[in-house]
Amino acid sequence: MENKYNFAKKYRDQLLRCSSCGSCRAVCPVFGISKRPAYNARGKMLILKEVMEGTVELNDELIETLFQCTTCANCAANCPSGVNPPEIIKQARKDMVNIGSCHPVFKGMNEVLKKSTNIYAEAEAEDFSREKKANAEYVYFVGCVGMYREDEATEAALELLDRLKVDYTLIDEVCCSGVLEDVGYSLNNDLAFTNVERIRATGAKKVITGCPYCTRTFNNKTQYADLNKNGIQVIHIFQFLKDFDLGVKTKKRVTYHDPCDLGRHCGIYEEPRETIRKIAPNFVEMRHHHANSLCCGAGGGVRGAFAKNSITMARKRLEEAEEIDAEVVLTECNSCVHNLRNAKLRAQNFRIYTTTEFINLLFETSE
Amino acid sequence: MNEETKERIKVIVGSENFSDALIDRVAYSKDSSEYKNRPDAAAWPLNAEHVSEILTLANQNYFPVIARGAGTSLAGLAVPQQGGLILDMGKMDKIIDINIEDRLVVVQPGVVYADLDRSLMPYGFFFPPDPASGSVCTLGGNVATNAGGIKGAKYGTTKDYVLALEVVLADGRIMRIGSKCMKSSSGYDLTRLFVGSEGTLGVVSEITLKINPKPPLVSTAMATFENLQDAGRAVSQIMHSGILPSALEVVDHQSITAIRENTTTNLPDVEVLLVAETDGYTKAETDYQMEKIVAVFRKNNATTVTKADSQEEAEALWQARKSVYGVFAKISNNLSVEDLAVPMSKVSDMMTAISAIAEKYDLKMPTVGHVGDGNLHPTICFDGTNKNEVERVDAATAELFRKVVQLGGTITGEHGIGLAKIPYMDWEHERQSIEVMRSLKEALDPKNILNPGKMGL
Repeated sequence: MENKYNFAKKYRDQLLRCSSCGSCRAVCPVFGISKRPAYNARGKMLILKEVMEGTVELNDELIETLFQCTTCANCAANCPSGVNPPEIIKQARKDMVNIGSCHPVFKGMNEVLKKSTNIYAEAEAEDFSREKKANAEYVYFVGCVGMYREDEATEAALELLDRLKVDYTLIDEVCCSGVLEDVGYSLNNDLAFTNVERIRATGAKKVITGCPYCTRTFNNKTQYADLNKNGIQVIHIFQFLKDFDLGVKTKKRVTYHDPCDLGRHCGIYEEPRETIRKIAPNFVEMRHHHANSLCCGAGGGVRGAFAKNSITMARKRLEEAEEIDAEVVLTECNSCVHNLRNAKLRAQNFRIYTTTEFINLLFETSE
Repeated sequence: MNEETKERIKVIVGSENFSDALIDRVAYSKDSSEYKNRPDAAAWPLNAEHVSEILTLANQNYFPVIARGAGTSLAGLAVPQQGGLILDMGKMDKIIDINIEDRLVVVQPGVVYADLDRSLMPYGFFFPPDPASGSVCTLGGNVATNAGGIKGAKYGTTKDYVLALEVVLADGRIMRIGSKCMKSSSGYDLTRLFVGSEGTLGVVSEITLKINPKPPLVSTAMATFENLQDAGRAVSQIMHSGILPSALEVVDHQSITAIRENTTTNLPDVEVLLVAETDGYTKAETDYQMEKIVAVFRKNNATTVTKADSQEEAEALWQARKSVYGVFAKISNNLSVEDLAVPMSKVSDMMTAISAIAEKYDLKMPTVGHVGDGNLHPTICFDGTNKNEVERVDAATAELFRKVVQLGGTITGEHGIGLAKIPYMDWEHERQSIEVMRSLKEALDPKNILNPGKMGL
């Protein structure tokens, strides 16, 4: 008889293939701070295997573990059996939502996005004192975190685009709603339609995003396929910047935190480093970097639902910046910046910026 | 385990360090073996006193206590076969002392092997027994299984490095055994008794380990052979050459085929390959040793011999050996990673027998191993949902270990007995030695609360 749950239908082979070797213990950020095996991928796979076999019921009792995964995919990158736990977990979350079992924060987020244009239910969007043009070569898509939580980073990114004399415009953007796919729900078609229409209305052929998650959503989700069909390319701002000769430099000891959304999820590791090395010859890697980079703890809805653990994960990441005496920690994701800044201790002397923010700062100080 | 007992454990470790939630009971029901059973609860002790109070309670109220490290056992050592309480030692993870002058480290049992290795690196020292699961396995688990690794031939296994232990006995008494001295002939060697005892005699709460200076340079070479006998003879003659390689690994034909079919690794289609590594303090020293080994390879009809001239080239030569587990894991639903050791002179006989058994039972049984110390890992790849195949796996495994014992080998080189090897214990050990083992178990754990059901005792 076919299993009633979609995660079991789609991922039975992977669940059977998980050999419980425990390699994921070394890299799972939630396990790293809790030491609780029920939270790492092996624990989650054992639980889901039992759900598939009918010896454990899919219900609220499992929220604590199945909804506590940042989907950073470090387990998948290190799994000798080739299992992709975050994909299985995301499907299991959808199965849970289908039977009415969901973390209240995520249920709330889905409700919010039915009525609001952003995940924070903020009424007024920041306009960054810029006029929205009818036509432009590029659309700059800010994303919810950059719009409502890290607006200074966004302001700096826009100033940098101005300095580089880029013909861009902002739009009345709404949440890309990609995050809903991670927390048990589905992308909101109305929001996606609104974004696609507003981008198309500008006549721009390129969208530059400030958020790697938005980039992934625009490029991978069918609801945004019309962008591609109409010849509109979506890139993250660092991809846009890598070909510029910026002409500013710092002597500071700089390191780079790979956001999971760019690194493990898109395989983009070198391009940000190329840009950073141009401006910071004294570049050093943290202990975990590239495909082994530690997660900042913000992803997969964990920051909203398990805030304390999320901050603890970010602290653990920042300990590695301290280990190498970094003066500046750069990253390419507003969400990472937000979580890392919240986690930074006063005694820690380094500063945390998005790369664009830091480049803009170098321009300001050189003026 | 009744509610009152659970409440008392909560008082001992704090409610945040206790759980009887379903998610934890399922997560602790399994290790890396095929065995499975749920515990009644789990606790995370923070110190030896916590362990002592819990064991005192268990001894009074008769519930099983299973100390657990990272749960990477391939033989079921960490599976709570009779339920009870999992003692997860993961929060006792401090490196208490690194003492280069006395050539030792003192650690809590939850320290991960890789973390100790990283901490010793700045001093130029290392703890040589390096299990393949080193990124996750804990030193407490290594002590409990007497874990080995690829450097066993030259550097030995965990038992060769444990100088002293703090152990909590079944009745709750805390006992310090061994010495921090490099030499000691004082009394019975109780330390060695607890190494490899699989949590059946006591719970280790602190470990003092001897450490070694780490030779900074290595030479690496790979040789391929058209037949197993040539490779086996090469292994024996390396021992005659007076050179002790820091690693000498074998990859058999089935493994080579699996790697060729499932990866882009460029390997020739040969019967068997050997990878050798020598270590030392100067390039002349490591090269001298490697030249001797290469001469032995050539004398025994190696079809190709490749020497690495750089670290990248060495990594490329190691890739085949190191990718094997991942390849098997990706192409199989279930893996039974077997572990056996035979005298080095019997390695090729054992490998020939493994091929014959695989053919007889129509099973995939690729084999790799540490031939430098006669330790082989035939890995049976199968589908656990296929009943007929599972029956063939069981029969083949029994035949495998009968052959091991016939060749004067041991049924486990480094994984331990746990649940997997119980049926073969009395094939290897004569009645008297099993009786002595049972007497020791009864003397130290008369109520059989410590990891009961393991080792067939």
